Amino acid sequence: MGLDDEGSKLKKSFFSSIDKKLTLLFVIVALVAPTLAIYYFYIISVSVLPESLSSEQSVLLETTAAVVIVLIAVDAGVIGFFVSRSISKPIKELYKATKDVEKGNFDVRTDIITNDEIGELSRAFNRTTAALSRMDEARREIDDAKTEFLSITSHELRNPMTPMKAQLQMLENEYFGKLTKKQKDSLTIIIRNADRLDKIIVDFLEISRIENARLKFVFRATNLKETIHETVEFMKGFAKEKNIKLVVKAEDLPTIEADPDRISQVLRNLVNNAIKFSPKGSEIEIDAEAKKDRILFSVKDCGCGLTPENQINIFEPFYQVEKAASREYGGTGLGLAICRGIVESQKGKIWVESKLGEGSTFYFTVPLQPVRKIEPIKILFSQKNALERKIKEEFETMLGPLGVGEFNELKSKNALWKGDLFEYIDSLTEQYILTDRQGNDFKNRIRCIFDVGKKVIDKEDDTLRDSHGREVIERD
Amino acid sequence: MQKRQIFQEITKTLYIKNIFTNNKNYNIYAKRWDVMKKILVVDDEPDVRETVKIILEQRGYEVITAVDGDDCLNKLHEENPDLILLDIMMPGTPIGDIVEQIEDTKIAFMSVVRISEARKKGLCKQDNVVDFIQKPFDVIDLVRRVELILNE
Repeated sequence: MGLDDEGSKLKKSFFSSIDKKLTLLFVIVALVAPTLAIYYFYIISVSVLPESLSSEQSVLLETTAAVVIVLIAVDAGVIGFFVSRSISKPIKELYKATKDVEKGNFDVRTDIITNDEIGELSRAFNRTTAALSRMDEARREIDDAKTEFLSITSHELRNPMTPMKAQLQMLENEYFGKLTKKQKDSLTIIIRNADRLDKIIVDFLEISRIENARLKFVFRATNLKETIHETVEFMKGFAKEKNIKLVVKAEDLPTIEADPDRISQVLRNLVNNAIKFSPKGSEIEIDAEAKKDRILFSVKDCGCGLTPENQINIFEPFYQVEKAASREYGGTGLGLAICRGIVESQKGKIWVESKLGEGSTFYFTVPLQPVRKIEPIKILFSQKNALERKIKEEFETMLGPLGVGEFNELKSKNALWKGDLFEYIDSLTEQYILTDRQGNDFKNRIRCIFDVGKKVIDKEDDTLRDSHGREVIERD
Repeated sequence: MQKRQIFQEITKTLYIKNIFTNNKNYNIYAKRWDVMKKILVVDDEPDVRETVKIILEQRGYEVITAVDGDDCLNKLHEENPDLILLDIMMPGTPIGDIVEQIEDTKIAFMSVVRISEARKKGLCKQDNVVDFIQKPFDVIDLVRRVELILNE
């Protein structure tokens, strides 16, 4: 039985187990004591007055005794119940409070005013949650400071880019006189790197937006086929250089409410990557199909493929498959991380399936219904690693040595989110690998890992707020 | 998507030709119009001011500069320019107050923040706010926009 189920049982049942035990104790004591007393009284009275008792009298006496015993027992039961309630009620309250803390609500306080050990315990508990709450506050402040820092520095970095790029452009276009070939070559390198720097800054800004749940989505009825074709048409210019063919396979797509620009942004990124890593004259397949509650997009290339380790890490910022190669290919190292942020902001998933030397296929999903309530997603210095470590530990404890392999398989599919894990656990229980009880236990542990420190920013609200609910000024 | 690209390509080549190679002719044209349009560039960063000044002067405009909002208002009364290029992130008086005090002159904002931010601050409500130039700007784009505004 899961923790949560126990909790609900505690809440619902009028008699908790402590109540039952204590009441039973009182009843037993209250039954045994008068029974013994009356029994001795009876024996004594019988031995002292052997003949004076008629059979009628003795019956009366016995009935009276029985009634007295029952009355006392009932009395004792009632008293026992109230006494035990006074003990079990604060315990219940404490239990509820600990459940709240488990869910990440550190502001919970108990108000038990008793002068016994339980009162002491409750005061100690309050002090602990106060300490936890302070720590949580500090953590959030650091988190906000990080995002704020990212946003501010990106803007400050962008400011000097303005005159720099303008002056470079003027030089390049021979605004100040003719340039020699060598000067031009040198200028080309400077401009290329200035552009690259600017792109990194822009990417950082995008990340700071994703991390703050400030990413803008403009939802409207979208013809996906059109979106895909437009994007591919746009990318064809880049593919021409390497003589790569872009093939669109998407057919029969529903019109859904989504942000076509964002979908296009992710697609462009994936296709751009595919072009970069594909050999000359090869083909890239862009496909999309409607699944029951989502649209599955895929971009398939015939590139060099990825090792399992690369498949896992490729969506991390600045992760480069081959350090040396990446410089040649250019790019900021943030493209896929931003894709992940955009897709996951819409509760979609993005992953890659690949075999070394046989090319790779990138997938991402878009829900049929747009997600308007955008949650912040950690990309830089994400808690993902800590989260994954915890999940891995749970896998090991629940499934033994087998768990690690299973964990890695799920990880490579980027299926480590709560829903995926629950589905996976359900499949385990269906195959009788785990009992229902174990399955529930497993789920509860996973739920605990995910629920800690969760915060949601409501995007319906027009003003922007940080995690403390204060209004923030948007630096876009 | 393609159309826009082609359009950009065409305008770009056109302007490179006109602005950079034949700029002397353009200066002559500008003088022949006999309306040396005056532009006030307001930015707290000297390099930006200087760069914009060079670009626009080459194009035949008279350019004056101001370092912040208050300076902008002073220059506005003294010089009476045709267009103000205004950075929206500057120290000193809040930019909203400055914009409110500029009633007749056309304003184009220049900023590293996006236009959505300016809208959020309520800066784009006035009729005389005519354009928003995203920094870092493209030289050709800047000239084209300024020209469009002033030829209207």
